[in-house]
Amino acid sequence: MDNHPLPQSLQDLTRRHFFGRCAMGLGNLALASMLAEGQTGPTSGSTSGPTSAPAAAESLKTPATHHPARAKSIIYLFMAGGPSQLELFDAKPRLNQLSGQPIPNSFLEGKRFAFMDSSFKNKSTLLGSKRTFRQFGQSGASVSDLLPYTAGIVDDIALVKSCATNLFNHAPAKLFMNTGSGQFGRPSMGSWVTYGIGSESRDLPGFVVLQSGPRGPRGGAVNWSSGFLPTSHQGVPLRGSGDPILNLSRPPGISAQSQRRTLDALGDLNLRRASETGDPEIATRIASYEMAYRMQSSAPELTDLQGETDATLALYGCTRDTPSFARNCLLARRLVERGVRFVQLYHTNWDSHGGPGETLENDLAKVAHQVDQGCAALIKDLKSRGLLEDVLVVWGGEFGRTPMGETREKTGRNHHIDAFTMWFAGAGIRAGQVLGETDELGFNPVVDRAHVHDIHATLLHLLGLDHQRLTFRFQGRDFRLTDIHGQLLHKLLA
Amino acid sequence: MKPGLAYCLGWLLALAAMAAGTAGEPETRYLREVKPLLTRHCVSCHGAEHPKAHLRLDTAAGARKGGESGPAVRPGKPAESLLVQALEGSHSDIERMPYHRPPLHPPEIETLRRWIADGVAAPTQEVPGVFVHWSFIPPQRPPTPRTAATHHPIDAFIRDTLQRLRVRPSAPADSATWLRRVHLDLIGLPPQPEVAARFVTTDSPTERDRILEHLLASPHHGERWGRWWLDVARYADSNGYSVDAPRSIWPYRDGVVAAFNADQPFDQFLIEQLAGDLLPQATVAQRAATGFHRNTQINQEGGIDPEQFRIESIFDRVATTGSALLGLSVGCAQCHDHKFDPISHRDYYGLFAFFNNQDEPTLEIEGLPSGISEPKAKSPGWATTLVLSERTQPRETQRFIQGDFTRPAEPVLPATPKVLPPLPPKNGRYQRLDLARWLVSPNHPLTARVLVNRVWQQYFGRGLVETENDFGTQGTPPTHPELLDWLAVEFQESGWSLKHLHRCIVKSETYGQSSIARPDLREIDPLNRWLARQNRLRLDAEIIRDVALAASGQLDRSLGGSPVQPPQPAGLGAFTQSNRDWMASSGGQRVRRALYTRIQRATLHPALAVFDAPDTFTTCTRRLRSNTPLQALTLLNDTQFHELALHIARQMASTQGTDADRIAGGFLRCTARHPAPAESQRLLRLLREERSAGGSNGAPPEGGWLAVARVLLNLDETITRE
Repeated sequence: MDNHPLPQSLQDLTRRHFFGRCAMGLGNLALASMLAEGQTGPTSGSTSGPTSAPAAAESLKTPATHHPARAKSIIYLFMAGGPSQLELFDAKPRLNQLSGQPIPNSFLEGKRFAFMDSSFKNKSTLLGSKRTFRQFGQSGASVSDLLPYTAGIVDDIALVKSCATNLFNHAPAKLFMNTGSGQFGRPSMGSWVTYGIGSESRDLPGFVVLQSGPRGPRGGAVNWSSGFLPTSHQGVPLRGSGDPILNLSRPPGISAQSQRRTLDALGDLNLRRASETGDPEIATRIASYEMAYRMQSSAPELTDLQGETDATLALYGCTRDTPSFARNCLLARRLVERGVRFVQLYHTNWDSHGGPGETLENDLAKVAHQVDQGCAALIKDLKSRGLLEDVLVVWGGEFGRTPMGETREKTGRNHHIDAFTMWFAGAGIRAGQVLGETDELGFNPVVDRAHVHDIHATLLHLLGLDHQRLTFRFQGRDFRLTDIHGQLLHKLLA
Repeated sequence: MKPGLAYCLGWLLALAAMAAGTAGEPETRYLREVKPLLTRHCVSCHGAEHPKAHLRLDTAAGARKGGESGPAVRPGKPAESLLVQALEGSHSDIERMPYHRPPLHPPEIETLRRWIADGVAAPTQEVPGVFVHWSFIPPQRPPTPRTAATHHPIDAFIRDTLQRLRVRPSAPADSATWLRRVHLDLIGLPPQPEVAARFVTTDSPTERDRILEHLLASPHHGERWGRWWLDVARYADSNGYSVDAPRSIWPYRDGVVAAFNADQPFDQFLIEQLAGDLLPQATVAQRAATGFHRNTQINQEGGIDPEQFRIESIFDRVATTGSALLGLSVGCAQCHDHKFDPISHRDYYGLFAFFNNQDEPTLEIEGLPSGISEPKAKSPGWATTLVLSERTQPRETQRFIQGDFTRPAEPVLPATPKVLPPLPPKNGRYQRLDLARWLVSPNHPLTARVLVNRVWQQYFGRGLVETENDFGTQGTPPTHPELLDWLAVEFQESGWSLKHLHRCIVKSETYGQSSIARPDLREIDPLNRWLARQNRLRLDAEIIRDVALAASGQLDRSLGGSPVQPPQPAGLGAFTQSNRDWMASSGGQRVRRALYTRIQRATLHPALAVFDAPDTFTTCTRRLRSNTPLQALTLLNDTQFHELALHIARQMASTQGTDADRIAGGFLRCTARHPAPAESQRLLRLLREERSAGGSNGAPPEGGWLAVARVLLNLDETITRE
């Protein structure tokens, strides 16, 4: 098994140098450690890195998890903009009864709500949901009429209604959900994971980002940044329109052999520069070129859906060529099949303030429709192929929506950080359950609160990583995805 | 006490403390160096009101007296002092301080250690320190440290810190590296090969000065640094949102370039950017400069409420002004009082009101006077551009509850945030021009600091304040606060001359030193915050393209004009709403600097986007530097780069001399240095391999040179400023 696509290419290069295939002598053992530095290992990360080349090479081969992993890879379906749990999953009959009434004082005292100032408290009223909820499956989970396909897979997923986060503006909240911090510069979860356990794909990046919807997620690339981890761990975004990856074909007249010879010479010269300057960015660049070379054959094979049956396409509700969220779900399955460790799909726009394009009446239905079939198809497809045992699927946004209404042009809801719904499926998840409960109006969790840090800790746990031990020393401090927080959500685990 | 009053009072006290400082005496050293540290980092919890652990650190006496755990300082014994132990996190029971905030920088702790070692000197009648966030106190020019043996103030500040860390600075970069560095930094183009070849033998201080002056006077300087400003201005050639129709606002872009070339005093530049239309007898150039705030998106979908998107564009103007000039995330106060900084919800709408009173006309420019654009022979003699103009009848601004324009509350007049210096008194209503003049007024604590910090960021890859768009309490404190203030004051006193600032920075040894990593720094300073060396920086997206154009000899160096369309992969617009074709330009227009590439917001040119060009939807004050396989695919396979590789190949193939000479020529074009023997040999080997492989299937005239050229164009060094 080859766990480290990026370091592997470096190994190839360094080996070539060490064993004298290269005309240009190198003989700089320290370089090998620099190349390997921080690339791997849940226990050994720091900007100073290991010191001996053989040890570094050894660590490339055997990335250890902290404990046996339940999941091999993650597909994270990021619902950008903040889906309304009150229109999708969290049925609140009492809220419907009190619709139009002021918020009872008992919910306001000592509580802190996003967006609330004094004028807000006076004017805002509760808003019942107009959606129809029914219970589905063995678990009896309630799902609204907006998600008919998801209703069909409730026994394969665990709904968590008691999720909570800290930040209530889109960009910082997305950062928080991805990095455990609202500030720039921290690594995203996908980066932490590939840093911790590498990837099983030699030919595709270990952390791939797919996008759909009217625009990219706010904040863009910072959401999949590697922060202070080596840049080889950043997410690689495929394009949301047109060809997912551009420039995969060699220029006219360049043969495959010539491309290889060119890259060999380029690698040798870059490696020499790396040893002269001591800049680890060159190691990443060398690895990027080797990955690019392999992607020239692996990526067309990945994105060519000719081999997918019509039945599969019908299951997802997508075509072979037209970009959509559903097609990205299919691509995500193909990515994890090929050993990619962390696949993140972003779909915009779930923001539902009630303004144009953001109404609860029409626009929420539209965006729910855009994702519903693809999500359910992904679970069914993974399951039928036996992949759901190894792949962990996460569905959720950066926050939820308020039980109070917001009136712009039409009715909407504002950002709510204290209680919202996410779902989890696959490897190591106890499926067919609804975890957590909110109060009768949906303001706060009453049991099994699942904070973002707890979710992060649990996801890492399923990948065999202890969130307290997956650290990276930076600025004199050991940083973690979960900062100084995070409790395992034991009830979520199978 | 009201928060606002506390801030004002604190501000005055801090000023008084600063004024009292004259160098030398231990008491004044305490006031100048130690007390600001304690005030900044400790006094918010250990001040007069409810001091944590009953410890007060707002006076030296308080530190001596101590709190629940005993005295915080033991005169003469820094290692035994609780203060030092707590700040270093070495005490067994006390958590590392400041509590749950970033630790103090090692040089700061060293300053406190020295103060304790010297006996905890302080004036007898000490006024207790009141916490005022550092960036709200106007900068004063600090004395230049005398400890370091250097004549350049920047080096004195940097080395003073390095000495405290017991680290030596790096040796100067070699001649070739220096030459390429100043070219890329000052004009965004590599040195011409013959200049690079000559310089290694003629390098001298006078020659360096001559080159710097030449570069600062080059019209390409304005192109390079104009682009720096266009990031902030979120400049684009299309309207954005889903329709994303093209717009003509390129005369604004050319005006920025011209202003940077002319070294227009930057205070005047900013006034014109924000309110050029309101200046008496405003010129066409001054009116065109107001395009700064016309770079907002325009939604042309059917059925929308135009008022909503007018308001959205004002939100964007306020947020841009806040991040780019105030270095404050004022946008947070759109919906509620700022959670961390003293910017109230009402303050926000005070700023909003300045921008709520204009029409948004299109200006026809005839004759394209110089100062807007240098007329090109093939350009038409006129163009249109988007500008602001003030309404005679002011709109009434109301606070929007939660930032929702359908929920107006009480009326608000134009006003600046309370925590910042007041506007000068005026009869009648304040206008944008008053805001612009206020931003560049001498006592403004933020604007000059924010600007010099972003200039510094360009040269070193990181600002002295790392959070370049947040100088508020959630931002990171400056690594070199005195240097930041020195630069800000120097900039203001030079008449806001950016060229003076550039000259000042690039002439420092700190800037000129080698960027090569040093083993001794890996533990002490892995991120190179203390600048014991330079940083290697991957070039900006546009410069990567420009370097390739220059190296291939294809670059069309003409200035200004309407946007151009170099080739891009087919079908990019296919899935956007408007599905526009991208007709690639031909001839010289195909090989213009990337500054002139059409910026279509919904489908940014992929070769720029992949190298982290800003998305132009909102202001960009710092670019990411990612490093991905997609970049490799672009440089290897993209049509526009391949065309340039072919040109480099043909040049090498047609040059006189040995193969090694030809390789040296190509190497020089791409990296501005001669290859080392091993590098040359490796490329010769590639050439041989290609020739023997290509013999059978009809090799093109450039033979194996194409492969060599592709390697050179793809070298990490070629796309890096070393």
